[in-house]
Amino acid sequence: MHNYSEFISLMGNKILSKNEKQKRLYFEVGNENIIEVADYLFTKLGCRLSTATATETYRGIEVLYHFSLDKSGEYYCPRIVMTDKKNPRMNSITPVVRGAEWIEREMSEMLGVTFEGHPRPEPLLTGNHPQNIKVPLRKWRSNG
Amino acid sequence: MSWYNKRLAKSIWVYHMSASPCNNCDIEILDLLTPKYDVERFGIKLVGSVRHADVILLSGVINQKVAPQVKKIYEQAAKPCFVVGVGTCPASGCCFKDSYNTVKKREDVIPIHLYIPGCPPKPEAMIEGVVKLAGVLNA
Amino acid sequence: MDKNVIPVGPYHPLLEEAEYFTLQVDGETVVDIDLEIGWMHRGHEFISESKTFTQSLYLVERICGICSTSHPLAAVHAMEDVDNIEIPLRARYIRTLVGELERIHSHLLWLGLAGHFIGYDTLWMWAWKYREPVLQMFEIISGNRNHYGMMRVGGVAKDVDPDKIKSLLDIMDEIEKKIQMIAKAANDDPVLKSRLKGVGVLTKKDAVDFCAVGPTARASGVSVDVRKDEPTDAYDLVDFKIIVTENGDVFDKTVVRLLETFESIKICKQCLEKLKTVNGGIRNNVKEISAGEGIGRYEAPRGEVFHYVRTDGTNRPVRHKVRAPSYVNIPTFKASCKGIPVADALITLAAVDPCYCCTERSIKIRDKNNEPYQLDLMKLSREKTEQIRRQMK
Ligand code: SF4
Repeated sequence: MHNYSEFISLMGNKILSKNEKQKRLYFEVGNENIIEVADYLFTKLGCRLSTATATETYRGIEVLYHFSLDKSGEYYCPRIVMTDKKNPRMNSITPVVRGAEWIEREMSEMLGVTFEGHPRPEPLLTGNHPQNIKVPLRKWRSNG
Repeated sequence: MSWYNKRLAKSIWVYHMSASPCNNCDIEILDLLTPKYDVERFGIKLVGSVRHADVILLSGVINQKVAPQVKKIYEQAAKPCFVVGVGTCPASGCCFKDSYNTVKKREDVIPIHLYIPGCPPKPEAMIEGVVKLAGVLNA
Repeated sequence: MDKNVIPVGPYHPLLEEAEYFTLQVDGETVVDIDLEIGWMHRGHEFISESKTFTQSLYLVERICGICSTSHPLAAVHAMEDVDNIEIPLRARYIRTLVGELERIHSHLLWLGLAGHFIGYDTLWMWAWKYREPVLQMFEIISGNRNHYGMMRVGGVAKDVDPDKIKSLLDIMDEIEKKIQMIAKAANDDPVLKSRLKGVGVLTKKDAVDFCAVGPTARASGVSVDVRKDEPTDAYDLVDFKIIVTENGDVFDKTVVRLLETFESIKICKQCLEKLKTVNGGIRNNVKEISAGEGIGRYEAPRGEVFHYVRTDGTNRPVRHKVRAPSYVNIPTFKASCKGIPVADALITLAAVDPCYCCTERSIKIRDKNNEPYQLDLMKLSREKTEQIRRQMK
């Protein structure tokens, strides 16, 4: 296995749960810690933010960031779960990682997540859209 | 009109309009210009403005955001102007027809006179399509 | 100081894709740039959730016509990552071969269009002429010029016919000679040099900050390449170099792409040689994909393609996230376009290889007396080339 243990012990109880696979580490963090974790991964560890995925699950809306450590080909994926499906909110990591700007804008228009502290919280793909599409990746599943 | 059409068929100037394609049809259209296919020998020329065009080569399923622009451009074209739908996308919607963002009826946005199916159609097929159009105009 | 805004797009006459830039200019200099996208948005992630895994490969192939191997390849990597599915050796070589051929054709395509943007149409015609044999090779291998449909979970769909390998190698030799000629000509051309050197610089810090990938990052001295960082397929079995340069200007991006083409030719030749001797199946039969999540990536011609698949044990993905390289590369415009003349903006925008959006267009700006006048970005760009050419005589 790879040496995630150092990272895991450093983060201590900030990691709520984890799932370790070869070269992939998925772990859950609380909303209050995400900026700190992202800062550590990006600045200290020298990771690159590949992208982030927002998913609607039974537990709530999940946002999963994918940080890639290019030196070793490993992935660190912090996950935030927002149980309030009506009005999901979380802290934006754009002030720390500049490249997250578009990624967070897209998640917010596709699944309706509000990113607090985002410098430009406007829609990216559906801005100026004639039909005014709202949260398309959720619409069809709201009753299922 | 037929007198005019006959003149038109001698040298068809085409304008290329991409309305959310996957890009591949567009590349194949540009490929037509380059030495291997070189459509200029048939008098077919790609022009930069729709005002000069006799034929619009349309590629892609038209998505809802781009639809008003497509409509506007077609309205700006000097008529008669024929629209050729290149690829499976304008013909049937390809694999995108279930999406929330594509227009359901492309013919409402822009009338399409000729379809060239294929994903993407071979350059030979495109040439044949446009030449067939020329044949119809000559008739 | 007055600032004027130049809208570029969304409809664009000559090339592909609608996209909408707003350049804020002060006189001749670009002060800020903004971009509105979504003209090409077709909702792939949404459609993919209603398709089975094999169907969704057909779909992701149609995300982009130029990267029509990279997306399926990254998607199958993601699906294989869920269960750690192994693939046969022969299939690994075939995947690598197809992926690298695509890199050659994409880089030649970019080179041609870059030439076109600065008004050097000879380069365009040349590069595209010698791109044709690559498409011909694709036709021999897969049966289609574009959209090859080669990838499957657990292997590839079609085998390379052993009788054809010799003719493929012959074509490869021919292409190599021709590209060498183009590279030499491009390298010697003083106009090209003075037109591209020092233009649109993206510094290393900006490249890291914006999380840029691919040749855009590599030209700025950031050595990121999925092929070496996380070798999948046959990349740990073949010998190749990663090209990294330091300056970050458009010229360096051109150099990186040209040199990479030669590396790709090298890889293709090795794969073809290996395919003569390596036998065995081309596909493991994968019956099902269990519940879980997987990340797959592949180094597309423009950078890292990223796919994330989340499954629940059925034959459809619950969530399929796609991130194309241009998505992270395009925001670097904000750094590289500031402070450059309008005439250079075009080639700087194109240098990222943003799947060629609409960068040239008849534009309307207002002069000091608020009178509108028309400007053609393409013409401006060509005029500048002419000017340099005259100066050099
Ligand atoms: S018809 Fe096929 S190749 Fe052409 S734009 Fe549509 S999906 Fe792409």
